[in-house]
Amino acid sequence: MQPAISVNNLGVTYRAKKGESLNAVRGLSFSVAPGEIVGFLGPNGAGKSSTLKALMGFVEPDAGELQIFGDQAGTPESRMQIGYLPEVAMYYPFLTPVETLTMYGELQGLFGKTLRKEIDDLLDLVGIGHAKNKLNRSMSKGMLQRVGIAQSLLGNPRLLILDEVTSGLDPVGRKELRTLLKAKRDEGATLFFSSHELAEVDMLCDRLILIHKGQLIEERTMSTLKDELREYRLTYRGSANVSDIARDMNTGADGITIASFANAESMLGATERIRTKGGTILDIVSQEGSLEEYFVHTIQEAA
Amino acid sequence: MNPRIYTALARTVVLESLRRKDLWVVAILGFIIILTAGTLGFFGFDGLEIFAKDLAVTVLGLFSTILAILTSSRLLPDEIKNRTLYPLLARPITRGQLLAGKLLGAVLVSWIAFLILAVLTAAALLVFKVKFEPIMLQYLFGKMMGLVVICALSMTLSAYMTPSAGATMSFVFAFGSSMISRALVMGYDSAPEAIRPVFQLISVLLPQVSLFDMGGRVVNINWGPVQAWVMWSLFGYMLLYSSATIALGWVKFRKQAV
Amino acid sequence: MSEQKKSVMVPFTVAAAACSGWLVSDLGPMVNPVKPAVGLEAHDSHAAASLLGQFRTGISSWMFLRADLYLHNGVEMRLLTQDEVKAGRKGVGNSEADKAQLHDDSLIVTVVPPASRDFRGWIGDLERATSSYKDMTNHSHNNPRTTLPLFRLMTWLDPQFAPGWTTGATILRWENTMPGVRAAHEFLAQGLEKNPNSIAILTQIGFLYMRPLPGHPYSDRDIKHALPYLEKARSVGVGNFDKLTDEEKEALMETYRWLGLCYRDSGKPHEMLAAMTEGSKLYPEDPIIARFIETAKDLISKL
Repeated sequence: MQPAISVNNLGVTYRAKKGESLNAVRGLSFSVAPGEIVGFLGPNGAGKSSTLKALMGFVEPDAGELQIFGDQAGTPESRMQIGYLPEVAMYYPFLTPVETLTMYGELQGLFGKTLRKEIDDLLDLVGIGHAKNKLNRSMSKGMLQRVGIAQSLLGNPRLLILDEVTSGLDPVGRKELRTLLKAKRDEGATLFFSSHELAEVDMLCDRLILIHKGQLIEERTMSTLKDELREYRLTYRGSANVSDIARDMNTGADGITIASFANAESMLGATERIRTKGGTILDIVSQEGSLEEYFVHTIQEAA
Repeated sequence: MNPRIYTALARTVVLESLRRKDLWVVAILGFIIILTAGTLGFFGFDGLEIFAKDLAVTVLGLFSTILAILTSSRLLPDEIKNRTLYPLLARPITRGQLLAGKLLGAVLVSWIAFLILAVLTAAALLVFKVKFEPIMLQYLFGKMMGLVVICALSMTLSAYMTPSAGATMSFVFAFGSSMISRALVMGYDSAPEAIRPVFQLISVLLPQVSLFDMGGRVVNINWGPVQAWVMWSLFGYMLLYSSATIALGWVKFRKQAV
Repeated sequence: MSEQKKSVMVPFTVAAAACSGWLVSDLGPMVNPVKPAVGLEAHDSHAAASLLGQFRTGISSWMFLRADLYLHNGVEMRLLTQDEVKAGRKGVGNSEADKAQLHDDSLIVTVVPPASRDFRGWIGDLERATSSYKDMTNHSHNNPRTTLPLFRLMTWLDPQFAPGWTTGATILRWENTMPGVRAAHEFLAQGLEKNPNSIAILTQIGFLYMRPLPGHPYSDRDIKHALPYLEKARSVGVGNFDKLTDEEKEALMETYRWLGLCYRDSGKPHEMLAAMTEGSKLYPEDPIIARFIETAKDLISKL
């Protein structure tokens, strides 16, 4: 099956005046399978937007090959299958959401009653059906972001490329958007989005791609990453020594020991050993690790 | 080639312009023209018809050109500045189609402004009992074709330079092409033989906007309409020059990083 | 009308009147009175002192140029270049003598050449076809009277625009009728009221009195009435010669010529000699003034 996105050895260079140039992306390769939700992460200036722009054809890559469902990226044919939400976009201030979406819809090849119905449905779906005939200039940032989300969903695209998807939305809006995007995934759409909001990535993604200084740092599925980051902690009193299977162990003056383990198996082995030695287990904790710490740690390591 | 692409893009430009009240300014100017025409009657109508017609064609030419340049020279830069370009370019359209659609919008805005002004000035001319002549209709068509050339030129220049520089250059070409042309013609005879091809080249490259202005024939007496070949030639020149100009804009815009 | 409406209308009416420049010429002197002794600087201290004044001056000058164009039915002419003069080309200034010349663009030098001398080919053909200015077919010398309202308008807009007054009077006088002469006198009287020290207007009045109209009360040169105006023009001019503009200097030269004629025909050779000697110092190269000096000396020698 053709991957939804295929990026092979991508290079994007911006040429500034006075002969200077900036390599925004260097040798970046990854792919996204159809139906996946993939988070694209990286600190500011990592090259996320440049990669997305290259996929959309907004910038010309100076190296590499990019494909969308087998079509060369940046061509009208490839864009026919994409719904795109830019990081920060204004929508014509003197048009209404209906007029805005009508224009985008017609450019997408939609028209007539079908288009009108789709626009009404989409505006209701993103929660601004009540303001569909107001001028965009009278809308808040959050409402404009909803207009943007609606335009990205026009024509029921197979692939959604979303740049900073939750930007400008309040917590209720974010929750609604998550529900909406998951519904799109259930319908078979592929989602590829960049975000600074790690919580969003955590709640939405199947997989994440981490880049720094235009290069790939790590590519992980969320399930393995979560397992890896999960922390198992045991608090006990007694003489049992579990240092050989614990990741970390600390015994206080009161004789209480706190030990942490890399996985559930090690922790269960330790409880067995404590019981055998007549010790008392005071507390057992199994908690998710911090994605933020992982992010910071990985970036620092890469730097 | 889906015509809806062009109409959708053009409609947006027109709607925005209408709601931004750009055309209101034109209507107000038209109102001032009528008011002025009424005041002119104070000095006696006999003999002022020529001046009134001259004033009308001058005002028509001036304001419609200014509006055409200001509208078309800011279309692309504004799209980039306001980031409205991204959702547009994310659609399955080429950059060439985007340029053509925007140009169509700019042309329509200029035409609407021009026709509003034309109706208002025609009303003002009625005060002077100016009779309708076929050349007036040709004048309208001629100016409308000229506005297409101006819009294409302004849009292309805005792709190559800053919006203000593009607009300034467009003003120089729109209002100064006649003067440059005169200078070329006067200088040609006295120029050395070797340099003469340069004069010919400049003459071909120069936007001959003044060709589309038949105001002189409208204003003065008994000039009558121009022949059909002239109108067709103007149409051909408009098509040729606008296409070449916008193609030049496309060369710059098609690979421009946004 | 309600009080509220009145309060809105009053500032609007005042603003509209101000914008139209209505009565500004009358209000001007009250705000910034023109000193009679420096009448030559009236333009500087009055009209050009404000943006509106400059605008009015500009519009009047533009109208003056347009009036000349209308008289040639829109055909725009130009002076011969030095190269053309050297090459032996001849243009005609006034082709009234031979109507055939009106349509001969090999004689009348227009801003765009005839096809035979135009290197631009098709573009040149188009320009000749679309623009009245460059096609000699309909070239004519229109009745100057048709431009009269324009002169009224330009002198109303800018009362200090002396060429408007003098050329307007010339047009009125052109008809060689009694009403025309009277109208010219009335027109110039209005101009003089606004510009009491204008050398051009004073000289033009003198000229009107000195130009006979056969079969009418103005059939003889009216030296008695002409002299005071010409003398006033002379005294204004000679006292401020360095401050005069080129146009005023030209008008002053005319003043001396007419003065010479007045004194000669009224039998005052001593006054003639004094005036012409004074004039020759200011205009040493003028052949007419020089000839009048000889005439005056000759007349004195015969006394």
